[in-house]
Amino acid sequence: MLEVNSSSFLLIVIIALGTYTLRVSGLLFSSKLANIGRVKLFLDYLPSTLLLALVMPAIIKEGMIGLLASALIALCMYKTRSILLSMIIAVVFVALCRNFIV
Amino acid sequence: MNNDFKNGFIANLPIGLSVFAYGSVLGMLCTQKGISLLELVLMNFLIFAGSSQFVIVEMWSSSLDLIGIVLAALMINLRYFLVGASLNPLFINSSKKDKFKYMHLVADENWAVTINKLKTQELTPLFLFGGGVSILFTWSLGTISGYTLGEFISDPSKYGLDFAFVAIFTALTFNMYKGKDDLLPWLITALVAILCERFIPGKFYIVIGAVVGSLSAVYLSKEQDNVRS
Repeated sequence: MLEVNSSSFLLIVIIALGTYTLRVSGLLFSSKLANIGRVKLFLDYLPSTLLLALVMPAIIKEGMIGLLASALIALCMYKTRSILLSMIIAVVFVALCRNFIV
Repeated sequence: MNNDFKNGFIANLPIGLSVFAYGSVLGMLCTQKGISLLELVLMNFLIFAGSSQFVIVEMWSSSLDLIGIVLAALMINLRYFLVGASLNPLFINSSKKDKFKYMHLVADENWAVTINKLKTQELTPLFLFGGGVSILFTWSLGTISGYTLGEFISDPSKYGLDFAFVAIFTALTFNMYKGKDDLLPWLITALVAILCERFIPGKFYIVIGAVVGSLSAVYLSKEQDNVRS
């Protein structure tokens, strides 16, 4: 249960160092260049485009249910601004559809 | 200052529910692959990136394909370069030492929650770090429970828990809408991500979608300036 052999330890450490390097270098890179106007605009858009690129394929894969759930989220965010409530409504909606409709 | 840590920790607890559920699935997978509990915990603390941990565990076998697994895992984690780059406003007054200290515990969840809060509130990196500790806590709790108790959430997708990630990130995206200048870059991002996901193997679609979308925003704003002047 507690054994670690050398090759699996090596594997974990290499991936850990690589992942940490990616995280830190991204930040250091942008702090160097952020005062250039165009770079700043690029960086300003990164959070929303990263999130969109993460979720859009997942929503499309879910089909009609995914699209309807996103519409519910949009409506709930517009009315309440509550991320937690939006999440709960969407998850309950998807769970209900999967268990009782399909 | 310390309040930021606590607030960050609490703000990441709701999404922690799905982090916990998926952790339990990973923990259970580890027992099937003969991965030891210590190896699992080392991955949680040292790598701390859920989707890449799933790939590592799936590719794990008695004869480890070291290069193959490293490449597959780092490819998925490539987006953390962009995630890190987007965090510059949070670290604007921080020392290099703080940057090195707080950037390890950055996952999709606490990054998204922090970036969103940062729009309306002044925050220190401690908020991000508190969120990271919160996710590490629920992730560890989930993975270790799955490892020791076996399968107790047999199919998280049945309860829509896989959609919890998508739902939160979608809500956060809507929250970032600033005006109609966003529409075209967002549409481009979505189309590129969907097409890449379909036609390019692996997880490159996240990075490609985000980079192309953000570049399009830069290009479009230049066009607009030209029209105005």
